[in-house]
Amino acid sequence: MTKVVEISPTTRHEGHSKLTLKVNDQGIVERGDWLSITPVRGVEKLAIGKTMEQVPKIASRVCGICPVAHCLASIEAMEASIGCEIPKDAKLLRVILHAANRLHSIALHNILILPDFYIPGTETKINPFSKEEPFRSVATRIFRIREIAQTIAAIAGGEAIHPSNPRIGGMYQNVSPRAKQKIADLAKEGLVLVHEQMEFMLDVIRDMQNREYVTVGGQNIPIPKTLGYHNQGVMATSPMYGSSSLDENPTWDVTRWKETRPWEWYMGEVTIDLEDPNYPIGGTTKAGTRANPQMEACNSVPTYDGQPVEVGPRARLATFKNFNEKGTFAQHIARQMEYPDCLYTILKCLDDLDTSGKVIADHIPQGDGSMGWAANEAPRGTDIHLAKVKDGRVLWYEMLVPTTWNFPTCSRGLKGAPWQIAEMVVRAYDPCVSCATHMIVVDEKNRIVAQRIIQ
Amino acid sequence: MREMTADPYLGKYITCVSARSTDKEILKKAQDGGIATALMVYALEEGIIDGTIVAGEGDRPWEPRPIVAMSREDILKARGTKYSISPQIAWLKEATRSFGLDKVGVTGVCCQMQAVRKAQLYPINMRDVPGKVALTVGLFCMENFPYKSLQTIVEDHAAQSLGSVKKMEITKGKFWVHTERGNVSTVPLKATHKYEQPGCHVCLDYVSSLADISTGSVGSPDGWSTVFIRTKKGNEVWSKAVAAGMFETKPIEDVKPGLELLTKLAKEKIDKNRKTLEERRNFGVNKALRDPYA
Repeated sequence: MTKVVEISPTTRHEGHSKLTLKVNDQGIVERGDWLSITPVRGVEKLAIGKTMEQVPKIASRVCGICPVAHCLASIEAMEASIGCEIPKDAKLLRVILHAANRLHSIALHNILILPDFYIPGTETKINPFSKEEPFRSVATRIFRIREIAQTIAAIAGGEAIHPSNPRIGGMYQNVSPRAKQKIADLAKEGLVLVHEQMEFMLDVIRDMQNREYVTVGGQNIPIPKTLGYHNQGVMATSPMYGSSSLDENPTWDVTRWKETRPWEWYMGEVTIDLEDPNYPIGGTTKAGTRANPQMEACNSVPTYDGQPVEVGPRARLATFKNFNEKGTFAQHIARQMEYPDCLYTILKCLDDLDTSGKVIADHIPQGDGSMGWAANEAPRGTDIHLAKVKDGRVLWYEMLVPTTWNFPTCSRGLKGAPWQIAEMVVRAYDPCVSCATHMIVVDEKNRIVAQRIIQ
Repeated sequence: MREMTADPYLGKYITCVSARSTDKEILKKAQDGGIATALMVYALEEGIIDGTIVAGEGDRPWEPRPIVAMSREDILKARGTKYSISPQIAWLKEATRSFGLDKVGVTGVCCQMQAVRKAQLYPINMRDVPGKVALTVGLFCMENFPYKSLQTIVEDHAAQSLGSVKKMEITKGKFWVHTERGNVSTVPLKATHKYEQPGCHVCLDYVSSLADISTGSVGSPDGWSTVFIRTKKGNEVWSKAVAAGMFETKPIEDVKPGLELLTKLAKEKIDKNRKTLEERRNFGVNKALRDPYA
């Protein structure tokens, strides 16, 4: 008999979300919904009428982990709309900033997922906050990687969190020769560390793939071999940076995208009738509680060819490097494999960077209302911003962020998982829920659903 | 090390001397003893700093523009007092960003030293700044002028063209203007008061009490500076620089007019401005103007 269990809130990812799960007698998910319950902030609506310079700085504030993705995607959407080509050295600085941000984000995600994993060959789970070895040296390495990444981002981008240097038409500042050398030195130090960290993580993940079960709340929970499998396919625009409608051959097709409403993909009202007070830490939602994912979801559902898709590191590797594994652990593996590329990219860009080169376009058109889009391959996947700019002001603005693409896809990937490890499936997407919750959701009669929920 | 002196008007300091740089090139265009320039050049050459914010040349004559100097030549370009506002701190964070500095030097007047210290202790959107400030050299400052004021004083009151001015100086109750061709004009300070920046009237610091090292003209003879060595960092840098032969020094006690005049002027500034602050409390009828020190 089908029962409904709910984990709310979910933990160890960015933002506020929950899992409403229909499970069979063995506790295996038959149909799972993972949805954002982060209050809608409506960035896209409030952007209308504001200047094209200001909107990217607001969009950046959607998320403090991947502000670089939103800042760059937003600026480049404006540049695509007005038809502004930026100088080469500005682009190089943006790529350095971008790669540094991806680096810090992967390392941060290591901290979030490691508590689900075991020291290879043992029954001891990894606690990155413990003073004991080997935890302490792993944590120290992760912190140094993040420090290096944030420092590089601050130098190239002006600020690690909410970069100040990018502007419509390029960058405010080129860097000094000293700054260029400093980035190179840091990148070389980081390269050694990320190779070590990647090998460590891959060992930990492979150990997990060989395990039969994991312990959750004192219980042994079997791990299905197909954990997290789905048939939604993947979408990616670039192995590293992104694409935009200014490109000669854009790698994303706006005509294949369609925005849909949550209730085309989520379940309707259900009543929780399975409750586990021992789920760590604090138990699950009380039996008798009603849930309604269709109405509660604060995310919308963008589709590609009419279906939700997976975006992120695995999507990039599958699209560009023929990576052919799928599911939860394949996603983890793909993410670790992106580590070294971040630093090789930075070093390559530094080689090409001319510190006395100009970083702002000579002419910045003010726009005639044409639609432009830019895709940034954010740490979590394809982040697409679309804009229409006229006379320097934003007429229309849309953000299709990675975790928004992943919400319904991941929900389908939950099927077949014991509900106690549904969160492990979610974490493999490295969700960024506040990223995914930035829009106003409109129902059939064009009433604003999100506003109704807030009331 | 000498015991710390805590003077109510001159701030806390370890030692005070009269000094001048031994570098002839620096002295050629220095306002006084070349202390600010020589210290920053020495700190750069010794790796104590890897860049410093100085008041460089702006777009108009005698209009300062803050720059991040990373070479001796750039530091030397900032020699000479510009009696107009130079927003030094505007580059404080950027110095740690696109300039890629690890050890930032800052020069400026008293209020700019205050800004640096505040950013170090209360960094509000000033990430990385607290740990990267390496050396601060503060100038004595009685008051400052907006650029329009400076134009009016020099062009109208002193009847000189700004383009021909070589040096300006406020001393002995007068605003002095020296031209390249050797003319000297003076304006009685009384005539300049209405051109002062109003914000200077609530300032309670004359000798840059919060700098690592502060330096100024009053108290020492022409061509020499009065120097306070205040912090551990300042003492370290100064001792090394003196040992390396960068400065000629004399104990301030052996110099005329010495600390007596300096204390008198510091007291005048602080007492006058404290009165202004008190008046702000009763500026309106049953209401006050804000007091940032409250």
